[in-house]
Formats: sequence, structure tokens, C-alpha cells
Amino acid sequence: MTTLSSIKLIKKIWLIAANEWQYWLRSHLSLGATGIFLVLILTTSFLTTAHMDSENHLRSHQQSEAEETFLSQPDRHPHRMVHYGHYLFRTPAPLAIFDPGLDPVTGQAIFLEGHHQNSVMFAESTASADLGGLSWLNPALVYQLFAPLVLLLVGHSSVVREREAAGLLPLLALGISPHTLVFGKALALLLFSLLLLIPLLISSTMAFMSGESSMTLLLLFLNYAIYIAIWVVLTLLVSIAFTKRSTVLAAMTGLWFSFSLVLPSIAVSITADTVPVAGKIETDLAMLSSLRKLGDGHNANDPAFQQLRADVLKKYNVERIEDLPVNFRGIVAMEGEQKLTKVLNEFANLRMAAELSQTEHLADYGWLTPMLAITVISRTLAGTDLAHYHRFQREAEAVRLAFVQGLNRAHIETLSYEDDINRNKNEDAWQRARVDAANWQVLDAFQFNTASLTERINSASPSIRILLAWLIALLGLLLWSCKRVMP
Amino acid sequence: MSYFNALIREVKFTAHDRSVRLWFALIFILSTIAVGFGLIEVERQNTTINALIKTNQQERILESEKLKDWGSSAYYNFHLTYDRPSDFAYAAMGQRDVQPWKHRIRLLALESQIYERDVGNPSIALVGRFDFAFLAAFIMPLVLIMLLYDLKTSEKAAGRHHLLEATAGRPFSFWFLRAAIRVAGLFLCLIVPLIVTGIMAETAISTLLLACLFIFAYILFWAALCFIISAWQKPGSLILMTLIAIWVSTSVILPAGARLMIDQSVSLPSGSDILMLQRETVNDAWDLPREVTMEAFFEHHPEWSSYEPIKSSFEWQWYYAFQQVGDQQTEPLSTAYQEGRLRRNGIATWVSLIAPPSLLERTLQSLANTDLKASIRYEKEVRAYHAALRAFYYPKFFHNEPFDAALLEKLPTFESILH
Repeated sequence: MTTLSSIKLIKKIWLIAANEWQYWLRSHLSLGATGIFLVLILTTSFLTTAHMDSENHLRSHQQSEAEETFLSQPDRHPHRMVHYGHYLFRTPAPLAIFDPGLDPVTGQAIFLEGHHQNSVMFAESTASADLGGLSWLNPALVYQLFAPLVLLLVGHSSVVREREAAGLLPLLALGISPHTLVFGKALALLLFSLLLLIPLLISSTMAFMSGESSMTLLLLFLNYAIYIAIWVVLTLLVSIAFTKRSTVLAAMTGLWFSFSLVLPSIAVSITADTVPVAGKIETDLAMLSSLRKLGDGHNANDPAFQQLRADVLKKYNVERIEDLPVNFRGIVAMEGEQKLTKVLNEFANLRMAAELSQTEHLADYGWLTPMLAITVISRTLAGTDLAHYHRFQREAEAVRLAFVQGLNRAHIETLSYEDDINRNKNEDAWQRARVDAANWQVLDAFQFNTASLTERINSASPSIRILLAWLIALLGLLLWSCKRVMP
Repeated sequence: MSYFNALIREVKFTAHDRSVRLWFALIFILSTIAVGFGLIEVERQNTTINALIKTNQQERILESEKLKDWGSSAYYNFHLTYDRPSDFAYAAMGQRDVQPWKHRIRLLALESQIYERDVGNPSIALVGRFDFAFLAAFIMPLVLIMLLYDLKTSEKAAGRHHLLEATAGRPFSFWFLRAAIRVAGLFLCLIVPLIVTGIMAETAISTLLLACLFIFAYILFWAALCFIISAWQKPGSLILMTLIAIWVSTSVILPAGARLMIDQSVSLPSGSDILMLQRETVNDAWDLPREVTMEAFFEHHPEWSSYEPIKSSFEWQWYYAFQQVGDQQTEPLSTAYQEGRLRRNGIATWVSLIAPPSLLERTLQSLANTDLKASIRYEKEVRAYHAALRAFYYPKFFHNEPFDAALLEKLPTFESILH
């Protein structure tokens, strides 16, 4: 093909696209649908941003309050502080203003104490007015659910309209090939999609200002663009396949609610049935028999610590516990906590791995509907997916172990064994069995952050591949079906 | 007789329409899938509960050697509470994916235990299961719209409209009949799997009838809406878009806006405030003179005020008294939290009157005992059970009764609270 003819071709494609835009601009329907979509996405973006912002402030405030409370505790027996415990709050990721993801259905606060791993409590959905699953509207959901709807309302007629108005024959007679016609319509719709994506840029800018990397935002934008492009191609395909405009619209509407509403929840039902996950109580009960073997860290005479006793005595070369330069009860507490934590983590990891594999199984149903693929990608990139919820639980566990063992160290090093065992004798003894409040500084300030971009891309990549496969397969189908564009 | 003939003719006509058959089949299959999965899930939850009851019992036997006195018995004995799915839960799983339906509690302060959540994978809860309530409330109207929007316009486009109206005699009753047959067919395809499953699951007949009645009323509402709007002298695509716009407003936009406004206008105490206050009270007790705690305790439980403290370094009586005082201190906050949730729910009931899909879903959930009210009812049962456990132990603590492990057989069971 010569340069001249390819320029001519591009010109023709642009002309068709421009014609399509002119048609939309004259159509009240197209204008109305687009207008409503833009108002909806802007309102939702604004409300979600405001809500997540206030949640962020509230939880950060609660976090610093919890830290202050812990640090301002008076002199005490260190083990009292182990049970006094500490709270962590899960602050939302910067991109939660666009896709809050699991935030409303997962707990926000966790109580950390010695010897236990508690569950994360107080999810927003537990306390909110329940008006159905779709009432949790957010910008991401508006894009996933309504961008395809607007696209099919605006674009369904693109090819079938020409056919119905008997406009195909003259067009083809003018030397415009079916491919050129379809490319022109596709170009028009793709430009229209970009218009729909502008509000995403606004949310992205806000997230950028709260510290999200531009690379993440670019990826997020690209994936939504691919998702919408999939619907552009679908719309064109259906518009080519049928001869009546109302049939096209009906078929597209059917596809829309099957893909966006029916199939994702059917996939959830199948997954919940075929890959069940044991709950926390079930796991806890299964864990108890492993825990029984460990011995009670409160009891220095527990037979489980005989070996430890012998080792410590040997290390300091003394005969009796009382002669040790350190507090043996603290050593037992530390050893007990260490062993216990190992078991707790083993079972917690098993539970999280099971949840993760269930979620990955669910993501595989992206092959059934691109809606599932984009929701997974969106949540993962935004840092509001299951992996991040687990990340919070793991970080919380690290904080728990660190401060408990820090306190146990103070127990070992700064509290004399004699004061310790006599603490319940009388008021004076009780007062003596304390350590200085300066020891509470074992607590570090906590701030929950999202995983690195590489990590997020890694966990999103199976779904990104699925989404790309959808686009490529549908594009192939479109190229093939261009020959059907016959009057 | 001619009316009957017309009916037969229309039924035959409908049965021969391929797209109508397709939509009917789709709804029938989806309904079957929905109740099928519902039934499996109900089964699974029941199995889980039974297994937990058994394991918890075994666990208590294994721990029994730790029990040396009433205090340690109360400390080491964990009790399982649960909320079994109702006989209609297969149709509407409702809140059961976000609200806990099992708790393991012991005699320590209840406020530190009751907000623990054992609710499974949040990814599952977020997307939501495909249950019958979702199908009936959100998907069915869309299918109905597809069936009814081009009743007239398609015949117009096919050039048969005038002919049909002329031969039918009374045009209105002709269109009405055609619409009625489609609505009736859709209704049957939707509820037959529901009823068959209901019979299998031994659901109360009254529940099934009520559910069918509500669904019927709901389907009539959408049918009337479609009928009115499709009477417009406008192209079919415009009618379809209008109907979809109504669906979007009532299923998504109105509920979303209402939820935000309700949450905004009814404020709740923050959950973390409840927890922090509870912790402070319980922990402070270790540093306070024991009399202070005991006085606060006797204020609410004067019946034990004759108790004589034993002279010992550690006293279970005092330990459980400060656990209870912790609960007492948090009670106003915790009650406000519960009442606030109920108030939000109450307003949501009224608001859903203008959002029919939410209304139907909520109605089915309330029939199935899977709504917020049911989960708060369960929370109250857990509280009642905890109170019953206290009522069992307190006489033993405060009358200094000698420990007798055989008496533990008489511990109240959670079942006894339910009846």
C-alpha cells in the first residue's frame, strides 16, 4: 500500500468516526446517558473521597491515641502490660478513594495482647444500613458496572443503524470497505471511552497527592481502558451480528447483566462450594491440641520448661533459679510466647493460604466474565484486596510479638526474681514488683502501608493476562466478522 | 368462550416465540442454580455447627484436668454459641456472610469477646453469593423488561400491529393478555424451583406462600411499569433505555444515596471506644483496692453483698467481679451501638419503600431470618447465654461452695436459651 492510499484510508476512518460523533451529539439519548454517567461518576468519586478521607483521619487519630495510651501507662509489672495489650487500626490505602475494595467488609481494629491472636473487629458493613449489595457504590464499581452500560446505549446502533436505514449499500459503493467502516466506528467509540475515563484521572491525581506511585495509576488507567475497550468490541460485534436495532440492544443488555451481575456472583457461589475455607473458630479448635503440648508460659514450674531450666542454669553456671542474674519467670514467659507464636502463626498462615487460594480460584472465573478480572485487578492495584488484608494481619502479628517480647525482656532483665515471686505477699511487695514505665517504649508507631508495586503487579498479573486475552480474542472475532458487514 | 380461545391462542403464540422461551429457560435455570447453591450452603453451615459443637465438647473434656475450683472452671470452659440457618435461608443468605453466626465465649467480660468476627473470606462477602433473593429482586426485573418492552413496537416494526388490533376486537385486552401470559410464565419459572426446594427443605408452608405473594406483587409492579412505559408512541430502544434507567435508579442509585444518608444521620459510637473503655476498666481493676471493684459490683448485684472476701493473694470472686464491672461500664456505649444499628435498619426499611428491589430483598431476608434484626437477635441470645452462665457460677463463687466437677453437668446449654 502506498503512503498516499494509507493516508486516504486514515482520513476515511476519521471521517466515519467524526460522523458517528456528530450523530451522537444530535441524539438526546447519547447525550443524556453520557451526562448521567459523568454526573454519577463525579458524585461517587467526590463522596467516596470524602468518606475515605474522614475514615483515614479517624483511624490514624485512633491509632495515635492508642499509642499514647499505651506509652503513658504508669510503672507496672511488665506482664500486666502484656495483658493490657495494644490496638492497631487499618488505615485505607491512597487509592481506596477510587476502589475501597474489601475495606467495608473487613474489620478495622485489632486488639493485640500476649498469648492470643485476635480477629480484626468492626467492619463498616456490620453497622451500616443494609440496602442490598449494589448500595456500596464507589467509583470503581461505577466504571465496572455502568461504563459498559453507557457504551452499549450509545454504541449499539453504530453498524445496525446503517443497515436499518439502508445506508450500508451507498457507503460500500463509495469504496469504503467493511473494515474501514468498522474501524471508524471503533475509533469513535474508543475516543468516547477516553471521555468516560477522564474522571478516573481526577481520582488518580488525588491518590498521587496522598503518595500513590504514578506507575500504579498508569497501570490502573490502562487496565480500565482495556476493560472498556472489551465492551467497545463486544458492542460492535453484536451491532454487526443482528439486523434489527432493538435486537442488538436487547442482546447487549442481556450480555451486560449476565457479565456484570449474574456470572460474578455465580462464580462466588461455585467457589464457596468447591473450595471451602475453615473459619477462625474451626482453626482455633484444631490448633488447641498443638498448643496443649507447649506448656503454660505463666508457670515457671511447668514440666514443659524443664529443659529450658537446665539450659539456663548451665549457661550461668549456677545451681538454683534464685541465683540467676536474670529473672527466670521472664525467660519462661519469653520462651512460652515464642513457641506459642510459632504454632499460632502456623495455623494463621494455613488459614490465610486457604483464603488466598479460594480468592485465586474465584479470580480464575475471569475467563467467564471480564468483570471479575477487572475487579480483581482494580482491588489489587489499589491495595484494597485480600492480600493487603492479610498483610495487615501479618504486620499486626509482628507488632504484637515485638512488644510482648520487648516487655518479656524487661521482665527478664529489670525485675528481680525474688520481687517477682513475692509480688502477692502484701501491698509493699506488690509495689516492688514493678518496672519503670520507660520500658513501655518497646512500642513503635504503626502505619499501615500498601505493598510494593512489584508485589501488587505480581498478584494482579493472572487477571491482567485474562483481561488481555479477552480483548485479543474479541478483536480477532471482530476482524473476522467484518466480512459480515454486507447490506 | 372466545376469551378462552384467545387465551389458548396467545399461550401457543408465546410458546412458539424463541426469544421468550430463551428468557423463560434462563430464569428457570438461574432460579434452580440459586436455590441449589443456597441449599448446599445451608447444609454446610449446619454441618459446621454440628462439628464445632462436637469438637468444643471434646476440647472441654481434654481441658477438664485444669479445673481445680469454680474460678478455673469458668476460666477454661469455652462455650459454643451459634445461629443456625432457618428453613428458608436457602433462598436468602443475607447478612450471614458479613455477620458472625458462631461465637465461642467464656465467663470473662463479654464485651471483649462479642465483637470477635469469624466470618470467612471477605472476598466472598464483597461480591456476594448468587442467592434467590438477589435473582428475584435484581435480575428478574431486567428479564421482565426484556420480555415486555417491545410487545407493541416489535409488532409495529413487523407491520402486524394494526392487523392484530383490528382482529382482536378489544385492543387493550389483547395486549394485556399477551403481557399477562409472559408475566405469569416468568413468575412460574422463578418460583417453581423455590417451592420444590422449599418442600425438600421442609420449609414452613406459610413462609413459602408469603414469599410467593411478595414476589408476585413485585413482579406485578414491574409488569405494570413496563406496560405503562411501553404504551408510549416511541421507538423500542427508547422504551428499553427508560426502563433500564428506572432499574438503575431503584436498584443502585437510590439505595446507595439512602445508605450514605442514613449512616450519616444516625451516628454510632465507634467500636474502638467500646473496646478501649472495656480494657481500661478491666485493667485498672488490678491497681485499684479490691473494695472499690467489689462495691461497684455489689451495686448491680446486691444479692451477693453478704460475701466475705477470703484472705488470699488472688481471689477468683474479685477477678470475675471486675470482669463484670468492665461490662457494666461499657454497657451504655454498647447498647447505643446496638440501638444505633437497629435504628439505621429501621430507617432503611422505610426508605426501601421507594427502592422496590431493596424492599423485596430485605423482605425475603427477613422471612429467612438472615437480616440485620436476626443477627442482632443472635447477639442478644449470646448475651442472654453469658448471663445464664454467670447465674450458674455466681452462687458457687459467692457462697464459697466447694468445687464439684460433677455439677458442671448442670451448666446451662446454649440450646436452653433458644427455647
